[in-house]
Amino acid sequence: MPDWKREIERRLAGARMNPAAEHELIEELAQHLEDRYREMLSDNLDEAAASAAVLEELRDMDAKQWRQRRGKRRELEPVGMVASGRLMPDLAGDIRYGWRMMLRTPVLTLFAALSLALGIGANTTVFTIINSLLLHPIVAADPSRLAMVYETGVRDSREANSKLPLSYANFEDYTDSQQCFRGMAGFTPPQIFTLENQGGAENVFGEFVTAQYVDVLGIAPAAGRFFLPQEDRTPGSAPVVVMSYAAWKTRFGGSPEIIGRTLELNHLPYTVVGVAPRGFLGVSALFGPDVWLPATMAERGAFTGALSDRGKPLFRAFGRLKPGFTIQRAEAGMKPIAAALERQYPETNQGRVAAVRPLGDELFSSGGGAGGLAFGSAVLLTIVLLVLGIACSNVANLLLARAVSRRTEIALRLAIGANRARLIRQMLTESVLLSLLGCAGGLAVGYAGCRFVWSFVPANVARNMIAPRLDATVLFFALLVSLLSVFLFGLAPALRASKTDLAAALKEESRSSDRGRRAVSFANILLIAQVAFSMLCLITAALFFRSIQHAYAISPGFQTTRLALLLVDPRQAGYDQTRAEEFYREARRRVGGLPGVALVSWASGPPFWHSASRTIEIEGSEQRKRSDRIATVTFTVDTDYFTTMAIPTVAGRVFNENDREGTVPAAIVNQTLAKHYWPRSEPLGHRFRFSGDATWREVVGVVKNANYNTLGEEPQACVYVPLRQNFSYGMYLYVRSQEDPARLLPAMEREIRGMDASLEIGDVRTGSTLIQAVLWGPMVGVALLGVFGSLALTLASVGLYGVMAYSVSQRRREMGLRAALGAAPSVVLRLIMREGMTLVCYGIGAGMAAGLLAGRLLSRMLFGISPADPISLAAAAGALLVVAFLACYVPARSATRIDPMRALREG
Amino acid sequence: MSDDQPDREWKKGSAELLILSLLEQQPRHGYDIGKLIEARSGGALRFHVTTLYPLLNRLENRGLVEGKWVEQADQRRRRYYSLTAQGRKTLTRQRRDWREFVAAIGRVMEPGNA
Repeated sequence: MPDWKREIERRLAGARMNPAAEHELIEELAQHLEDRYREMLSDNLDEAAASAAVLEELRDMDAKQWRQRRGKRRELEPVGMVASGRLMPDLAGDIRYGWRMMLRTPVLTLFAALSLALGIGANTTVFTIINSLLLHPIVAADPSRLAMVYETGVRDSREANSKLPLSYANFEDYTDSQQCFRGMAGFTPPQIFTLENQGGAENVFGEFVTAQYVDVLGIAPAAGRFFLPQEDRTPGSAPVVVMSYAAWKTRFGGSPEIIGRTLELNHLPYTVVGVAPRGFLGVSALFGPDVWLPATMAERGAFTGALSDRGKPLFRAFGRLKPGFTIQRAEAGMKPIAAALERQYPETNQGRVAAVRPLGDELFSSGGGAGGLAFGSAVLLTIVLLVLGIACSNVANLLLARAVSRRTEIALRLAIGANRARLIRQMLTESVLLSLLGCAGGLAVGYAGCRFVWSFVPANVARNMIAPRLDATVLFFALLVSLLSVFLFGLAPALRASKTDLAAALKEESRSSDRGRRAVSFANILLIAQVAFSMLCLITAALFFRSIQHAYAISPGFQTTRLALLLVDPRQAGYDQTRAEEFYREARRRVGGLPGVALVSWASGPPFWHSASRTIEIEGSEQRKRSDRIATVTFTVDTDYFTTMAIPTVAGRVFNENDREGTVPAAIVNQTLAKHYWPRSEPLGHRFRFSGDATWREVVGVVKNANYNTLGEEPQACVYVPLRQNFSYGMYLYVRSQEDPARLLPAMEREIRGMDASLEIGDVRTGSTLIQAVLWGPMVGVALLGVFGSLALTLASVGLYGVMAYSVSQRRREMGLRAALGAAPSVVLRLIMREGMTLVCYGIGAGMAAGLLAGRLLSRMLFGISPADPISLAAAAGALLVVAFLACYVPARSATRIDPMRALREG
Repeated sequence: MSDDQPDREWKKGSAELLILSLLEQQPRHGYDIGKLIEARSGGALRFHVTTLYPLLNRLENRGLVEGKWVEQADQRRRRYYSLTAQGRKTLTRQRRDWREFVAAIGRVMEPGNA
């Protein structure tokens, strides 16, 4: 029989075909000729005649007929092999080809894209938080030129707790005299107002702001206007409000008719004149009011003496620095004004010093400052980058495995003239396509992640909270991360795969070859890194989880388990002092009579709030320098407060019925204050007064320290004064219950409403929710870390499973041989398990070392546990070992089931 | 075939239609296609390798058929051709045209009309 292939090859010599296409065509035609030859033999022709007849049929074969042979349709042909020299057509070809390759292995593509989507999505979520809070902290033109102006009660302005707001009168004097700011404005913290409407009364938040507020911020209203200069002149003359965008949208459906409408706030009619820009929360990164009111309405609206009394520091002030002015220079410029005020109004301004701080200090004052938030974000970002790293190495492993199975194809391309750079480009194009898929998925995951994070926001204040900012910056970030991931997961497989050994690959030795082994060993390094990364994520999550557990266990210094509280402000219902005092007494009597109530008392603030802070002067030590003054947290409390809260008395007595108007003004101090002022003597019987206050108060008792501003805080000095000597509006009713306090809340509300239906009740809570509220931020952080830790664990275990399963499939022959030679299944099982778990143990060791290092960096964010907390380390290692064991066990078990005969035959 | 001019001309015009028709029901390899044409035409039509494969090549380039290497147990791998969606459309059209053509010829050649 003639060599058909050679015969055809000779006749095709002039065709100038692509080598691969020619090779295939020759094979196809040779088969045909051979079939024909056999047919003729079976028709009883002899061999020579059959050959001649077949060759005769080839006679008029014309090479030119084949020039176009299967030009664009062949998989192996031009794409990735021959560069046309033009970028765009080549690129288009690469993309088409890459897309086809992805569709050809849909499960692998889906899994890789999903891994990437999770990794990119986690990054997008965290970046959205950073974008919303840190990159765009407030809606204002050039926020970096804005600075807060405070007064401090001590000369040393570094003292953190003494950033005091300004009284309106002082604010006006600063504004008139200063030279450092282009403009200054002031605002009160959000106040609770009662909004009357057809459906009844509800609470809204409102801030009083001075006229220049929006000019200094440099913002424009979304509808209507802001306040006019004349609305900031005569007190009480301008009952107008500007509504927040969110309140406008949620309460009034974004109706344009809102402008000119009347709102009744605390029984006063106000006209809506404008709507603030979208996303504007005032000078706050997290929480904004529903309405803004002109500062001149403060006296009619909420505070008596708010405008005239220099002893009422209600306004936080800020200004826009003039060009060339720094914070330090502005502070130096403001200090002489404070000194002049001190000389002019010594009774209220004595010892007050001006301080200027960057706006960020105010924005993030509750989260450890901008630095604290930035640090927290950096931790989260590092963790999610680790998760992305794991996802990428997973995908890299998948691509490596695929590259091994594609090496015949790659070798063929190299053999027929593709250059290596072109091949790498082709493979990277595939990776980019994959990462774009991952990016699209990642944006979806990121969106869902933000929904998850923001789901922690209580529904009733959701409109006041900052909204997630998914903008072009986030999109750009997601794309950047996706492209970065391409180099993490795509480059190594592409480089390795393009180094294919031609001769070996073309011999189709695809099973259990050396190359396969080398790819596996590279995969092993990736695997160790994955395990180490996920160990690090798990350790971090475990540390923070344990830290939160500790935080819950920290005693705030008062009992929270059987505590219920609510806020009533009789001023909102128009009560005068006499009527309000009567109300306080009657409410205690009624609520005290409810079944299940043990004790009832009133106090001026809830725990864990930024309580009023005042400085005090001790009798007999006025001559000491003013920097000795100490800022104290001040509470006005009714009798039985300390027993209701279970704050133990250390010395002296608690308040009783005799501490009323007309008797000696009494006060109770806490241990920190007692130790600070009377380190050697008993404080009982000593007298002090608040700065700017004429009344001397006698210390009648000392109580144990409690936490006032936040949980686990440094001990703070605190003064309690009796309600009956220091009347106050806006009081919290504290109830100590004998049973579950949550069950008492409705009855408490009913009793109060029974007394006067027009009284607005707010902030109804149990003691345990107080703790939850304080730990809200850290809880969100821990929840995220938990999610990311589990994600890391899942991705790493799937990666481990993949590598082990691949390794087993590559070694079927070896396993079959072992089984054939009498190895028991348990021996094979142990062999595979040992290999997998050795890698895991290396990874755990590396992760543990990294975790110990990272723990030292994290120590400042941990509550009461060591960064090397053995329980956290053990829990992380344990979880990883269990999951890794399962991930290795499944492929190992399948190795024991290999049928030796089949495996050997296949080999 | 060169000594059989009319046959050659007929074949040229109808060869595409024949191949597309044969592929309508199932994918076939080149040798199979050639044998089927020969058998069903009772030996009247015969395609040699030099006619058949360039034709298949052209059909494939025009996107009417698609060739794929298929491996079967205990056999050599073979290139099977199948109809593409476009090929199916073309076949329907060509078949209709052919019938109309044959009918028209028939009418012209009817003894009464001649």
